[in-house]
Amino acid sequence: MTLTEEISLFLQRGSVSKVKEKVELALSQGVSPTEILEHGLVGGMTVIGDKFKENEVFVPEVLLSARAMSAGIELLRPYLIKEGKKSKGTIVIGTVRGDLHEIGKRIVKIMMEGKGLTVIDLGTDVLPETFLQKAQEYHADVICCSSLLTTTMMEIKKVVEKRNKEGLQEKIKIMIGGAPITQEFCDKIGADYYTEDASSAADVALKICTENRNG
Amino acid sequence: MEMTAHERMVNLFKGKEIDRLPRIEWCPFWRLTVDRWVKEGLPCTIRKNGTHLTPSTQYELQEYFGLDKVAIGIYKPYTKDWPYTEKGYTKQGLVANAADYHKVKKHLYPEFEVDKDHIALFKKMRAEGDTVIPANFEGFFWFPRVLFDIEPHLYSFYDEPDLYKEICEDYVTWLKKVIECLTNEFQFDYYYFMDDMSYNHGPMIGKEQFDEFLAPYYKQITALLHSFDIPVIVDSDGDITKAVDWYASTGVDGMLPLERQAGVDVSVYLKKQPNMFFLGHFDKMCMKFGEEAMRAEFERLLPSIKTRRFIPSVDHQTPPDVSLENYKIYVKLLKEYTQKI
Repeated sequence: MTLTEEISLFLQRGSVSKVKEKVELALSQGVSPTEILEHGLVGGMTVIGDKFKENEVFVPEVLLSARAMSAGIELLRPYLIKEGKKSKGTIVIGTVRGDLHEIGKRIVKIMMEGKGLTVIDLGTDVLPETFLQKAQEYHADVICCSSLLTTTMMEIKKVVEKRNKEGLQEKIKIMIGGAPITQEFCDKIGADYYTEDASSAADVALKICTENRNG
Repeated sequence: MEMTAHERMVNLFKGKEIDRLPRIEWCPFWRLTVDRWVKEGLPCTIRKNGTHLTPSTQYELQEYFGLDKVAIGIYKPYTKDWPYTEKGYTKQGLVANAADYHKVKKHLYPEFEVDKDHIALFKKMRAEGDTVIPANFEGFFWFPRVLFDIEPHLYSFYDEPDLYKEICEDYVTWLKKVIECLTNEFQFDYYYFMDDMSYNHGPMIGKEQFDEFLAPYYKQITALLHSFDIPVIVDSDGDITKAVDWYASTGVDGMLPLERQAGVDVSVYLKKQPNMFFLGHFDKMCMKFGEEAMRAEFERLLPSIKTRRFIPSVDHQTPPDVSLENYKIYVKLLKEYTQKI
């Protein structure tokens, strides 16, 4: 088994100490930071994401793997900066105004980071104008809005309207999700993408960013 | 002859003859919805405790709509001098490790004394015959989550497994004492435990964790309550398709609210768990569209209604986009379909 395969395996098991140990070992043996990131950390997180989608692992295991991934990335960060490694894309994510639900959004964030995307988490109860301000500040490719309540889902429409008013439809795409959200609702309010689970959200976000950056 | 609410619940749970299904709102009315209805002419006096409607208001609303009333005995493991509250709710995330728990513990598991006035009120309601009276507790997923907070709770299965079990041991010991005390005074129609262990794509935790961290304690509770001939129901939002079997394995008798938005289908559960009861599942999202949409939803549920093991009720709370007129139509249809057994 290669070192990056070991990193992937320990990440899937959620072992922070083992991931750190193997990342340090890989670096000391001259494995490229990009190789460690892509095949070790992102590779491991992709496996966890797929298993989560199939209900083979559950939320605690995803959180543990994400924690191990963060620990690995922390070690790699200075090397990646030195290498000039660029993010695959930037996502601004938040739960809309009036809604305090956190965990679903957190899982989506984890899955997106697991794809190598940079995710700016605005937290919960986020104003429509804040989504737009932060998306522009961070040059985001995607705004990702979460709503768990039937009473707050219409807040997403306000985010869409603000984005359209600013004429940013081509530059910033809007993805939506949450328990009461449907494709029909997405179409109705003019959002760009609806995905029904965290893993699919990460796949779509990566696709948008890749297309965006490849022109 | 019309049965009393209690007779109906008892017979339903025992699979005996019933005159009709109960017509209940298992969950209290949503304040925002009631605020809307007041603007639309609802002739009830609305009293609030903070942002919540008072129990007497809830009771009056049920009476106004002609529902079987529900009065809930709520019992929590926090002392009267519980110092940790935030915006009127129990503050979450007080416990990160065993030392924190032992510090907080002096404010947990109070010496239980039956509130005689409360019980007298329940007995009066029981005598009047038109009120379903359940007892409500936090479950073995919910209560530790309050102590740990949402995300640390999910880590705790790996980071603090012994502490998780210690909390559940302490809690189940307290619960058993409370149940002994309560059952000496009053026979609640059912006991229901709030867990919210699932989300819209399935359970939060896996079967192995359920068996290790939750099942041993639920088994103790179901055994005790069954010895008093009282059914146990678990409240878990989201998609419980897997979880329903896990809870069934601990002796739990029923589950609610079976949210349609999470893709739940009660007919599947009725088939795979022939000894369980289910409550809820009426798709709240259709209510704003009026009678035709609501009748179609009741027609979807009719085969399950006819099993007499399913009590249709709004699958959480009636949302604020439902007008007073549409809610009245819902109640009219509920009365019609709960007769079709």
